[in-house]
Amino acid sequence: MRTEMPLSKPIRRLLVQTEELLDTEISLLRQPEAEPGGTLVDKYTYDIESNVIIFPAQYVGLLKDFIIAKHCTNLLIKGAAAKRKEYRICSYTEDSVFTGMRQIYLDALKDEAKKEKKLPVQKLIQMLFILYTQFNDDVNEIPWNAIMNASVYHRMPKIRKTQLYHIMKESKNDMDEMMEQESIVPRRYFVLDKAMFYARDMFLAKTLPADELMPVLNIPQMKKFNHLEVKEMLTTRWTQTAWYQSKVFGDNMLEIIDKPLGLVNWAEEPTLDYFYDLYKVGVLMTDNLLSYMTMRSWFMWETPKHLLDAHEHKQEYERNALKKIFGDLITDTLEDL
Amino acid sequence: MALKEAVELLKKGIAYAKRTKYKEALAYYDKAISLDPKYPEGFVLRASVYIETGKYQEALTDCNRALSLDQNCADAWSKKALALFYLEKYEDAVLAGTRATSLNGNDAGAWYVLGVCLEETGKSNEAQTAYGRSLELEIILDIQAESKKIRK
Repeated sequence: MRTEMPLSKPIRRLLVQTEELLDTEISLLRQPEAEPGGTLVDKYTYDIESNVIIFPAQYVGLLKDFIIAKHCTNLLIKGAAAKRKEYRICSYTEDSVFTGMRQIYLDALKDEAKKEKKLPVQKLIQMLFILYTQFNDDVNEIPWNAIMNASVYHRMPKIRKTQLYHIMKESKNDMDEMMEQESIVPRRYFVLDKAMFYARDMFLAKTLPADELMPVLNIPQMKKFNHLEVKEMLTTRWTQTAWYQSKVFGDNMLEIIDKPLGLVNWAEEPTLDYFYDLYKVGVLMTDNLLSYMTMRSWFMWETPKHLLDAHEHKQEYERNALKKIFGDLITDTLEDL
Repeated sequence: MALKEAVELLKKGIAYAKRTKYKEALAYYDKAISLDPKYPEGFVLRASVYIETGKYQEALTDCNRALSLDQNCADAWSKKALALFYLEKYEDAVLAGTRATSLNGNDAGAWYVLGVCLEETGKSNEAQTAYGRSLELEIILDIQAESKKIRK
């Protein structure tokens, strides 16, 4: 461990344990502009020798400890799979980008047909790939976030208050995403995106347990759906709002998250096999979420390098997908991309 | 006059230290201290840089010099606790940390270091209290920083 800062005992133990289990080194880095939830730069994803956990410089105490705990758990899950040469994440290819973007386009057309104020074509075209990659980010993040948080909760009881604060903050930020685009994003994708976060938050509200994490209490737009009477629920007024639909889809996604994680024995000895099992749970959850959202053909399990390469070629993938969807009609727009 | 100039030099040093340019920061702090060796802040700031660069014994010496000028300098006690922590003198660090937090109860970092040192000396319950106080303050600071960002 390369660190020059005071750390509480459980965190020091976890760092040492992580390094020993994975036979690797972890450095801690304070950065004024770091993400509030910190960042893990690891050797299983990037071509580097050791691992770095970066956190905001202003976090001097337990707020920093939680970030370290979360990323150590993440590293253990990744490392356990990588040691078996099985570590994969959801990536994309030129063909899968076309599949996803075409589907989003078809759904957008359906939405646009109902709208009085139409979205300018240029904006609609630009939105397709942005939405596609948003879901790639989401499926590579949300299931693992639920696993990491559940593991930290069970294994590090002394930082539970800190954890609750971090999750509440994260939850609000995640729900705020896409808010400005609510009127332009096809309803289906707005709802699915929010539903994933809703499901994660509901799962964590149950796991911690902390009612204040429930989106119907924590998220202003969802507060009105708390304690709805059955009659009210059935009125068109409610059922047609995007946030209510997010809740309905989210409740179904909650089952997808809850089922496999409900079978995990969190008190088990934290060996590499144990963390590999958590990795498999994450893969299963991701697959089930993708199936539920009918996005299985959008992404494929590939090495992290595959995804990094895909990111490098993303403009090319986007252009080619747009050419396939729109044919010659799109030439001018492609020049603007 | 010397104090005013020293303060200006310290400000320059702080700006460098913030950008982790410790060598430059140290040069300004040295100048400020030689200009006004009766101003404890200079020693405290230099101690911070010494801590960042792993010179814990030098940091401790500077903290003690600051405290000889002002026994109630909370920052000096706080940095002293940190230096003692790195020097693995946990009992002494607890004493310094306790003094720092009693002089300034709003120093989240001091409460945290106190918690770590209390844990090291086997005082787990007291450590949890210190951690709790540190967390409360960190959360308040974090919320304030978020609101500032939103206002901007």
